[in-house]
Amino acid sequence: MAQVLRVDWPSCEARGLCHEVLPELVDLDEWGYPIVKGPVTKELMDHAKEAVKVCPRLALRIVEGR
Amino acid sequence: MTTTYLAPTITREEDGRPASPVPAPKEVDVRPGPALLNGIEHGPSLAAHRAQYGPIPHLDSKQLHALVKRVQMRGRGGAAFPFAIKLETVLKGSRPILVVNMSEGELASAKDHALALTRPHLVLDGVVATAKALRSRKVHVVLPGERPAAAAAMKRAIAERRDGVNIYTTTAASRFVAGQAKAVVELLSGRPNLPATSWAPEAVKGLKGRPTLLSNGETWARVGLLVLRGAEEYMSIGTPEEPGATLLTMNMPGSVPIVFEAAYGDRLRDYIPQDRHGLPAMVGGFHGAWATWETLASARVSVNKMRAMGNALGAGLVLSSPECPVTLTARTVEYLAGQSAQRCGPCFNGLPALAKEVTAVHDGHGGLERIEQLANLVVRRGACAHPDGTVRLVNSMLSTFAHEVEAHAKGGCTLKHGSRKLVGDSFNRILEVA
Repeated sequence: MAQVLRVDWPSCEARGLCHEVLPELVDLDEWGYPIVKGPVTKELMDHAKEAVKVCPRLALRIVEGR
Repeated sequence: MTTTYLAPTITREEDGRPASPVPAPKEVDVRPGPALLNGIEHGPSLAAHRAQYGPIPHLDSKQLHALVKRVQMRGRGGAAFPFAIKLETVLKGSRPILVVNMSEGELASAKDHALALTRPHLVLDGVVATAKALRSRKVHVVLPGERPAAAAAMKRAIAERRDGVNIYTTTAASRFVAGQAKAVVELLSGRPNLPATSWAPEAVKGLKGRPTLLSNGETWARVGLLVLRGAEEYMSIGTPEEPGATLLTMNMPGSVPIVFEAAYGDRLRDYIPQDRHGLPAMVGGFHGAWATWETLASARVSVNKMRAMGNALGAGLVLSSPECPVTLTARTVEYLAGQSAQRCGPCFNGLPALAKEVTAVHDGHGGLERIEQLANLVVRRGACAHPDGTVRLVNSMLSTFAHEVEAHAKGGCTLKHGSRKLVGDSFNRILEVA
């Protein structure tokens, strides 16, 4: 199983920091909410952890999944 | 061809949200059936119930598991999840909490409503027998917020019982998404009755972090019948692949909904009243899919076979209306958008935008590309599957009634928004002409 970013949607308020820290994996939709583009690769793991850390709503997690 | 349009009529609740295209049923026409609904003429009392079924035999968790596994019991809430797997999962933890979810937030459905009125003690026997087998002392029964007669009937039945199991009742909020499993756990935790992010299945970590076995009323009633009557009798109807029977709600807006019990493998058309033959129907409810009459006519009451046909039996709801399916879909999507819990951004932004676009398609100027774009933006991007179900309905409308959608784009609804009463197969002929 791959490591993936999962959004806690009720907590997310479209602040967009995840996109700033991790544009490789996170786009923003037309309302500013994150679109996760794919699993977290080894190379991007540190950035992904940073994205989780900087989310002001604590709405992002790295979980096992697909 | 007419170019005059009638906008889909959206009636609104006091709070401004679009009302359900089908109101909560005030009464239900429950027909006798081969299993759960056998003997309903004797009334819903505990005395009548015990006279028919006798006392609950004692089972341990192994025996219960063997029984549900043998009859391939599946949940009747829509997803048809194998009950034995849920049971195995909660058995890995200790003293699970049991929940009977009778909230039936899908207002067009009336099957758990019907069970509350006619068979409350089968539902309760199912959960009480399971509680005893699992040495669990706490049972929660979640009552529907919009069906006072059903809620009162369950309360009356619970008051009649002395099982040595504590049965608590809670009333669900009046909202389409209130019956979603995680939303029910939220309600029982004392928080708003709305979906929240579920990081683990309820059977692993549910109420108060404990394993929670949550199923709807019909599933518990099937467990009750199985425990009382045994596997042989349970499997005496249905097919080898899908033994037993299942409840169907036949909803024809404007009339009292009818609840039937069909054996798996029966022809679906035999449960659709003659005067509706020839009409398409929404199968599986507002999160379900449209089916043409040809599909309905050849369909069997079967989870597997209907899945193979691209439809889903869901919670057993068949909604038949002579109204133009594009109009009914537009009204339904407006309602579903208003039923968002307003918690997840893609849902509370995306569903109203989707509703607006479907209404625009109905009015002949909507863009199908925009619908596809919005569908991609809402699917799997929320705490619950409300956006996914809404998109499923819209997509099935587009694929099932491509001709009709095209007719709307050209400026004319072939059905004149339901002003024409459809009889027999006229609907299909009209579509061919269009």
